[in-house]
Amino acid sequence: MNDRPIALDMRDVRKVYRVGDSDIVALDHATLSVERSEMVALVGPSGSGKTTLCSIAGGILSPTEGRIVVGGEDITGHSESQLTSFRQRKVGFVFQSVNLVPFLTARENLLVVDELGRRTGAAARERADELLDDLGLTDRSKNLPSQLSGGQRQRVAIGRALMNDPELVLFDEPTSALDTELGAQVMELIRSEVTSSNTAAIVVTHDERITDYCDRSVNIVDGKLQAA
Amino acid sequence: MFLALAEMRRAKARFGMLIVSIALLVFLILYQQSLRNGLLNSFIGAITTQSAPVLVYSVDGQRVIQGSVITPDAEALVASAEGVGEMGRLAQGTFSVTTSEGAFDASLIGYERPSLGAPETLTEGRLPAGPDEAVASDVDAADGFDIGDVVTVQPGGLEIEVVGLAKDAQLNAGPTLFVTYPTYLDAVVAQNPDAGEPPPNVIALAPADGVSDAELVANVNAQSDDLDALTKDDAARETPGVSQIQSSFLIIFALYALVVPCITGLFFLIVTFQKAAALTLLRAVGAPARRLVGALLIQATAILGLGYLLGVLLYAPVSQQRLGGIALSFETTAVVVWALILGAGGLLSSLFAARRVLRIDPIRATTGAGVGA
Ligand SMILES: Nc1ncnc2c1ncn2[C@@H]1O[C@H](COP(=O)(O)OP(=O)(O)OP(=O)(O)O)[C@@H](O)[C@H]1O
Ligand SMILES: [Mg+2]
Repeated sequence: MNDRPIALDMRDVRKVYRVGDSDIVALDHATLSVERSEMVALVGPSGSGKTTLCSIAGGILSPTEGRIVVGGEDITGHSESQLTSFRQRKVGFVFQSVNLVPFLTARENLLVVDELGRRTGAAARERADELLDDLGLTDRSKNLPSQLSGGQRQRVAIGRALMNDPELVLFDEPTSALDTELGAQVMELIRSEVTSSNTAAIVVTHDERITDYCDRSVNIVDGKLQAA
Repeated sequence: MFLALAEMRRAKARFGMLIVSIALLVFLILYQQSLRNGLLNSFIGAITTQSAPVLVYSVDGQRVIQGSVITPDAEALVASAEGVGEMGRLAQGTFSVTTSEGAFDASLIGYERPSLGAPETLTEGRLPAGPDEAVASDVDAADGFDIGDVVTVQPGGLEIEVVGLAKDAQLNAGPTLFVTYPTYLDAVVAQNPDAGEPPPNVIALAPADGVSDAELVANVNAQSDDLDALTKDDAARETPGVSQIQSSFLIIFALYALVVPCITGLFFLIVTFQKAAALTLLRAVGAPARRLVGALLIQATAILGLGYLLGVLLYAPVSQQRLGGIALSFETTAVVVWALILGAGGLLSSLFAARRVLRIDPIRATTGAGVGA
């Protein structure tokens, strides 16, 4: 299907935060490859660098050292506006906290992704409706986020993340706000969407049960990656 | 467009309130502009409306026509000044008059030559052709000073018929009649048969060919320390009270010119703070900062435009009314000028919010920590 099966290639990535006089090494020589259709669980304690790794892989944060290639695009030396455009085209995000624009409906929260880039109009509307249907949200498409349940909001966020047909989707604790049953539902959804859309995914979690939905797990401790 | 309009649609009350506040301020500004112009016209409209380009007062008159007295000697000095093309007397007095609508204190302005003191243009009717005819200010038409109406000078009973109307031609905020010099003298005699012929109050001048108004003013003033020649615009501006009115209103307008941008600027700053999380999220998922600033400016333009339009719609009917003795009118120039001032000021002030947007760091979307702080 694809001649470049590697969707994400991170090599020797370091991120050092300077706070006052001391350096905090949030990510230490992290090397990670994720293939298309592959779903990797990133497991580690709080403060171990999970969000930092995702932010760097998704082009929100620049590393101190190392090289990042996503879908064949080397973003290591990208400028801010190049990174913005890269995120818009190639990455899908589900963040740890705020995920939806409160004054846009569920459907508009998906469509806004198209609005921000090179507009495709009708094609985007079709894709949004398709995703909402897949996510079981067709009858909620006109609701504002405040009119949705936590699980529904999370599903809209997943739809938003997949809207631009990304090379790489990053899920930062997508189920932490949900109960066990809903969490399982959302993971199944993510699994099937990732498989059907042939994208690579990293799912951040503390929860061991979630790793069952993934192809493999990677542990992170104090910014260092180790295969599980 | 999509973002800007979607947000406004979802927050109709909030944006609506801002539009209404701007509309009310615009209404107040324009209304006061009409009020100021109406007030000034009622004081000095007759001076700007009359045709003489240069007016010579006596220094003692302190630039009030009625207080100025031109002695025969002074008149001779004026006549001998270099550059005088045409010269004519002007006299003005306040008379008790009655019309079909009631009793009034009216100003009568008597001019010797129509080209030196009669209204320059008429909105209706004609200039007096014979004795006991007058041009009135259109402002007073409804008070029994319309064409065909007869105004009676009391006491004495001299009847003057209005044959023409001039726009905004009042003096001293009361009904004003332009009459020929003989008619003016008739009115004086009718009121007080023992008065004798009064001296002119002001000498009206036109410069000779090749002489400017300013040169003529300088020549006349050089003749004597007792003469106070002014161009007609200066005469209007220098009338006592006028500059105080001007500067009071200027302060009021300057405050308005600050208040509207402050309100818009603050509004958008607050809105931007409140939706910082959403803006950060949008930046994180690939919204270029300029897109978000664009949405902000679209909103600012829409709100200023709608607010201004609504303000003008409120102002339009009210501007046709009278306020006490002052006639107001729809000030088209003010509407255009204020649109530019408030539009520019409002957009400029929303740049503070735009700066806020440009400073958003998308990384904050990943932590969920206090965004926009
Ligand atoms: N902006 C920053 N400045 C300084 N230190 C930071 C900054 N952001 C993160 N850190 C530090 O980097 C380390 C990794 O943070 P990160 O957010 O990646 O952890 P995490 O694994 O996502 O934790 P959690 O599970 O709690 O979300 C932490 O020690 C954190 O304190
Ligand atoms: Mg985290």
